[in-house]
Amino acid sequence: MTDNTDKHAVGEDTPRKDAVGKVTGKTTYTSDLDLPGMWYAEVVRSPHAHAKVQNVDTSEAEEMGAVCLTNDDVPDLRYNERTISLPEATFKDQTVLTDHPRQVGEAVAAVAASSKELAKAAKEAIEVEYEVLEHVVDPKEAMEDDAPSLHDTVVLDGEELDIENNIATEREIDVGDADAGFDEADVVLEDTFKTGRAYHAQLETKSSVCRPDPNGGITVWPTTQTIHNTRQLIGEIFDLKLSDINVKKMPLGGSFGSSIQMNSVVPISVALALEANRPVKVVSSRDVDMYDHCRYPTEIRLKIGATEDGTLVAAEMETLTDVGSHNIQAYPFLGVMGGFVASLYNFDHIRFNGRAVYTNKAPACAMQGFANPQTTFAVECMVDEVAEEIGIDPLELIRQNYVGKGDTFWGQGPSIKSIIKSDGVKELLDEGAERIDWDSRQPPSEKEGRFRSGIGMARGVHTSGTGGPVPGEAVDYSGALVKINEDGSVDLVTALQDHGGGTLDAGAKMVAEELGVPLENVSVSPTDTKNTVYDVCTHATRGVYAGGAAIHKATKQAKEQLLEFGSRLLEVPPDAILIEPDPENGDGRLYVEGMPDKQISIGEVAKTAEHKNWGTVAAVVSNRQTSCPPAYSAQFVEVEVDMKTGEISLSNVVLGNDSGTIINPTPAKGQQVGGFHRGAGYALYETTTYDDGSGQMINANLADYKMLPASGMPKNENVESFFIETNEPSGPFGAKGIAEPCINPTAAAIANAVYNATGIRFTEIPMSPDKVLNRIREKELDGVDKQAVPANDD
Amino acid sequence: MTELTLHINGEEHEVDVDPAKPLSAVIRDDIGLKGTKQGCSTGVCGACTVHIDGEAQKSCMQMVGGVIDDEIQTIEGLAEGEDLHPVQEGFVEEFGLQCGFCTPGFIMSATSLLEENSDPSEEEIKQAIHGNTCRCTGYTKIIDSIEYAADALNENESSETTSPSD
Repeated sequence: MTDNTDKHAVGEDTPRKDAVGKVTGKTTYTSDLDLPGMWYAEVVRSPHAHAKVQNVDTSEAEEMGAVCLTNDDVPDLRYNERTISLPEATFKDQTVLTDHPRQVGEAVAAVAASSKELAKAAKEAIEVEYEVLEHVVDPKEAMEDDAPSLHDTVVLDGEELDIENNIATEREIDVGDADAGFDEADVVLEDTFKTGRAYHAQLETKSSVCRPDPNGGITVWPTTQTIHNTRQLIGEIFDLKLSDINVKKMPLGGSFGSSIQMNSVVPISVALALEANRPVKVVSSRDVDMYDHCRYPTEIRLKIGATEDGTLVAAEMETLTDVGSHNIQAYPFLGVMGGFVASLYNFDHIRFNGRAVYTNKAPACAMQGFANPQTTFAVECMVDEVAEEIGIDPLELIRQNYVGKGDTFWGQGPSIKSIIKSDGVKELLDEGAERIDWDSRQPPSEKEGRFRSGIGMARGVHTSGTGGPVPGEAVDYSGALVKINEDGSVDLVTALQDHGGGTLDAGAKMVAEELGVPLENVSVSPTDTKNTVYDVCTHATRGVYAGGAAIHKATKQAKEQLLEFGSRLLEVPPDAILIEPDPENGDGRLYVEGMPDKQISIGEVAKTAEHKNWGTVAAVVSNRQTSCPPAYSAQFVEVEVDMKTGEISLSNVVLGNDSGTIINPTPAKGQQVGGFHRGAGYALYETTTYDDGSGQMINANLADYKMLPASGMPKNENVESFFIETNEPSGPFGAKGIAEPCINPTAAAIANAVYNATGIRFTEIPMSPDKVLNRIREKELDGVDKQAVPANDD
Repeated sequence: MTELTLHINGEEHEVDVDPAKPLSAVIRDDIGLKGTKQGCSTGVCGACTVHIDGEAQKSCMQMVGGVIDDEIQTIEGLAEGEDLHPVQEGFVEEFGLQCGFCTPGFIMSATSLLEENSDPSEEEIKQAIHGNTCRCTGYTKIIDSIEYAADALNENESSETTSPSD
């Protein structure tokens, strides 16, 4: 366990460094940015789910003074907007503007004009002739021989790849011998689970501003989780030198995975700005944003075999994932699904077959948890059922079988593996059970009346980053520059993005802790791609663990230099010097224990170093983590089900996490509750729904896309959370990741609680009231039938 | 286009706009106050919440021509110089924000609530923020922030009424 008692910054609650800007409305997000001479863009989007563009007449719009672009005017390079995976795992099927829209809302032309009003009028004046093609909304129909083909070919690692039956990609993973495993099993359960097509609903819609620079090159201000990947892809598409592109890191109005890639509006802003030779801003409307991305909806057939003594021996999973119009990261997605089956429980035998299929709908992309909420929903619901079948407490079944310390973790797929070195799972189960009063749980048969309560739980796990001793199919490293200024204050310079969770505050705390300076002396610099070294992306719960590790490493190197300069000034060896914050002068102090005359402030060292021409105390590093430690969670939920309306309400929740050392306590709790809240929305309400006939989304607005409101959360006093602070040896100050394990088990925990209340196992989410009510009625009818027909031996 | 005078944060602003233009767009684009956010433009998410004559309103649903006689307050009008409004302080102290994009809207709804009801229950707070969407926090810390502000405002009030003037 971690001991933070001697720490002054790590583990301390301090106001967020970005809080005042955010509460006063002064923080500038991309959508707030105005530049002198800036024009505004509008994008012409396909009203058809599948069509070929025959002709685009822009003459009237051009007469109005607008700059207009069509597919003919933009580079025809096919790309994948997400570039985290290696080329052999990156399928390329997108263009900046298309002449073959494969979903409603896909961009076919773009305009820029001097005012928003003029841009809108110019967009309206553009006439597009379409040849409407047959479309397909259902992924099973999409695989039939007579289904319309979305992509005849795509590009993979520089080669054209034929696409057949709209199958975007497939992946098979085998461990042991599944058939032999099921032969060993005493209990074998099998079921099919279905998960919804949730939408990220980040509050700031995707936006981008691009400015051609006076001396050549461009500057871009995008909504993104990765400035460096965005820059590289712009360079590739527009054939620009990377040194001629600067991508600025902006505060992000939420993301949840929706900006893991270069968003589709970014190259549109670049193309328009280059054409207009002036700054151009694109801001997506909400409906456009809803057609831009969603979570991967997946149908999962799962079979689990266990022995009577409570050993989970075999798992077989067959999945069908609907990727929509473009394949952004289906290949890693399938690898991660198989990986999380293997990384939740120590099955000796696993057979995984995953298939991803194109349909004429919004493209699926990463969303908090990536493939994990889908996988964990199926596995944790079934594990609850296995426990019941065998007749043991689910917590005991988990204790006996979970993947923990000493085991191999490969949640990010078979190419990314490392040995687990920290694990607080048993403590999470014990404390969660105590807090929810698990032992008081009654079986469903004891429940009666209109309002029925039930308690359920599920366990979650997620990777921290995608590193390993040997790098796998994803790029995973970060960088940082730590610079001590001439008054002892410190600049932290990193491309690492903060989605809002407080990642950069955690980074500042690590700097303050390691250097021994007061936290208020550490400032997080605004950065861009020109003044930072590479950071892959804030994704895969890697911000604090991997981004933080780079920050910590840079800080240690800067500290070495500080101690060396201090050694010259104090005339003692560097290893005799200690550093601590000095509240009296608001700076850090170098001192030697027991020698009161041997002390000097950090600022004096830095200033003297300048006067003596020794140089700046600074260090810049790149760092890759050689582990991907699992961050664990356990969520316990009490629900109340209204048997008359099918409504499920949340009465109590207990949220436990093992994220190693907690760097930033209250914001870390914020991750627990926020993740649960979005997970509950995913479980109960959220999905985007399409009309088969038109291919239109029928709830493409925030009124019809229902999320869990504040009133849907339990009372504040009934939302408990806690941490089991293990010490992760590979993590900065012992930290692991925090974000994604907070959403992964939520749907299963709620479904298991609903089962405990009603005796009905829900295998499909969202568990909307209409579906719940249908199942309740089915069960009641079933009960009536059984009562009506006497058993044979009566 | 029509020349209109708007009263925003105690100042008069002359704008030349279509009177049917949404107030949120005028505040952001014509006056340049970017703290009022636009999350949906259909009156659902509440990121554009401002005060119109003291009442929390979604500014994307108001035509600018309809509010020329009203006193409008935006998030920029709450703090007095460096001194944050107690509701803003509450959001800082209780970590009632993450990405911060919805925060101005929540703060405007909360200040309006506390003007009407200085000691709201949790239920009343949830009711008051019903029209604001936060995707990051799960709302619990937002509720804590508003309760913190209510306590701070009530303390200020009681110290103002009980302490001798000096």
